[in-house]
Amino acid sequence: MEIPYEVTPRRDTGLYNAKLAVWLFLASEVMLFGGLFSAYVFLRVGVIDGVDVPWPWGINVHKTFVLIGFINTLVLILSSVLVVFSWVALKERNFAKFRALMLCTVACAAIFMGFKTVEYRSKLMRHFDIRLTDGSMMEGTIFNKSFDIPFSVESAEFNLIGSSPGFIFDIDGEFPEMTVAWTVGGSGGKEETQVISSKRDFNKWFVRTRTAMTKELSDERKRYRGEIKAKEKAVFAAEEAGTLDAVELKEPVMPDVVTKAVAKLTKPYDLTARRTRVGKIFRGEEGAHNDTLTYADGCKLIGVGGDDRVIFEPHYVDMQLVPLHKQKDSMVWDVIGDKHAKEAWYKNRDHAYEEMEGYYAKKDAEIPEKMLRGYFINIQSIHDKEHKKGFMEEFIYEFKAGIEGTAYHHEDGHHDDHHGDKHDDHAKEVGGAKDDAHGDHGHHVVIKVPRDKIKFLNSHGPRAGNYYATYFTITALHGLHVIGGALVLLYFAVFGKRLYRKNPEHLANRVEVGGLFWHFVDLVWIFLFPLMYLL
Amino acid sequence: MAGSPEEMAKHKRLYLIVGIWLGVFSCVAISLGVFPILDVGPPGATWEDIVIGLGVSGIKAGLVSWIYMHLNHEKGLVYKTLVFTIIFFAALMGLTLFTLFDPIKESYPTIQTLRGLLTR
Repeated sequence: MEIPYEVTPRRDTGLYNAKLAVWLFLASEVMLFGGLFSAYVFLRVGVIDGVDVPWPWGINVHKTFVLIGFINTLVLILSSVLVVFSWVALKERNFAKFRALMLCTVACAAIFMGFKTVEYRSKLMRHFDIRLTDGSMMEGTIFNKSFDIPFSVESAEFNLIGSSPGFIFDIDGEFPEMTVAWTVGGSGGKEETQVISSKRDFNKWFVRTRTAMTKELSDERKRYRGEIKAKEKAVFAAEEAGTLDAVELKEPVMPDVVTKAVAKLTKPYDLTARRTRVGKIFRGEEGAHNDTLTYADGCKLIGVGGDDRVIFEPHYVDMQLVPLHKQKDSMVWDVIGDKHAKEAWYKNRDHAYEEMEGYYAKKDAEIPEKMLRGYFINIQSIHDKEHKKGFMEEFIYEFKAGIEGTAYHHEDGHHDDHHGDKHDDHAKEVGGAKDDAHGDHGHHVVIKVPRDKIKFLNSHGPRAGNYYATYFTITALHGLHVIGGALVLLYFAVFGKRLYRKNPEHLANRVEVGGLFWHFVDLVWIFLFPLMYLL
Repeated sequence: MAGSPEEMAKHKRLYLIVGIWLGVFSCVAISLGVFPILDVGPPGATWEDIVIGLGVSGIKAGLVSWIYMHLNHEKGLVYKTLVFTIIFFAALMGLTLFTLFDPIKESYPTIQTLRGLLTR
């Protein structure tokens, strides 16, 4: 079937159909990104000074990766230039030139996404924040294995409604024999037990019991709803009869289902809890074997907890949420346990203070309280300036680390995979001396952070805060647009020859429409880069 | 939009110049953000920086849409579509920015108490 107005414009609109369609599509895209940008603005202006976690400064967040954002900006601009010239090449009826320029555009998209991947990997796998219970925060590198929590399990409590309990996934090797107990028929019901000795049996039992329990819960809810309806009916009837005061109403009884099950292990089983990420061991009495560890799904282990401290290499300390007069005695200095780190932090802080003071002195004014509490003064490196890497050196270091995930490069060039075993020996006890393995002050302080002092532990991923959530949502959506647009342009470059032979103007129109989308992708980045990286 | 190959050739130079200007404006934006000596207002990101940063971005966006997306010689229907888009976009942002004038947020007593805890 011949589709009209693919090449020639319609008389009423003056546009060929695809062009009108793409402009309408772009209008809807403006609103899509507009919605997300307004969410960003809403969250940013909604931060209450002195109460909420402060909104971070893009440059502080991305540090040397600002350069990546800048390179990506130039790459997208170059791609925009290339796409418009490829369209010109088609208008000049030069297909070879068009194809070459279009392939270069797609290469730019690949470079953009490659840099983005490195940046995402660095944020998700390498950079972590640990906020301590006094509000102070350390930013640095975590060691993979320090997420794991060793625990000697004696019993476990978990919910029968939902997915399999988390601890089952953490059982490696031989499955421990356990007796599971659950209650059928509500809180006064019959207790049932079963001995389980394999993961397969556990899964079969869990699915069977969950199905029965779900049905029991559903029946109970039906009964409860029925009783509510019956009560309503009785009330209406009594009202009509005028006997509301005299009639005795039956109160509905809430659904009563025990969804909790308990698994008692025949003998203690040593497992490494990996699915609790931010979990912590609550210590019971010494020798009472009643330490507990709770998983994200609510599953609770009871037994004896091992050493659950997090092995961490801090680089920056953020004191924004610690009052000025308490900063010197902050918990963070005990945890880092390195006086050189503290000295370097204060030296850097004083430098930032002087810079701020210099600005306000010119205006003959005092530094506002908000600024005194702000990130510029209160987030500082714990490395001396003279021992800190140069910008490009740091950038290359971060870039390599971003490519390799959490891999860690030592000064002497060798690297290990951050499994933590090796660093476990170097990591200092709380209050211990600095790790001077490399012989320079303030570098590579590897510490063990007790989990009971940790309020929040997360990578620089979407869960780290509103800034990161909006950053990942908008940049990831933009990244998907880059991929989608690049695929369309690649299609034109690879398969466009046939259409070109048939009707070159038709291909030119298609490329123009694809190009309009590509320029829109560039437009979004033009605003994203300063908002997310610089401001 | 220019249609013939001859007209296209005339525009090539313009496209190239615009590309260079886009690169220059990108350098300006990052320089203002990164180099303290060029920072306007107090150190860090303040409203002055936001205005300048978004202003430079606005100029870049204008160049891309006006020249590369051919809005400098487009048909009326496209402009009409975009006018509606701009109105809706402005309304969306305007509603969001109204939160700045929300009196409830500032008078909420708990917030004042919490803020008091952080007063030095």
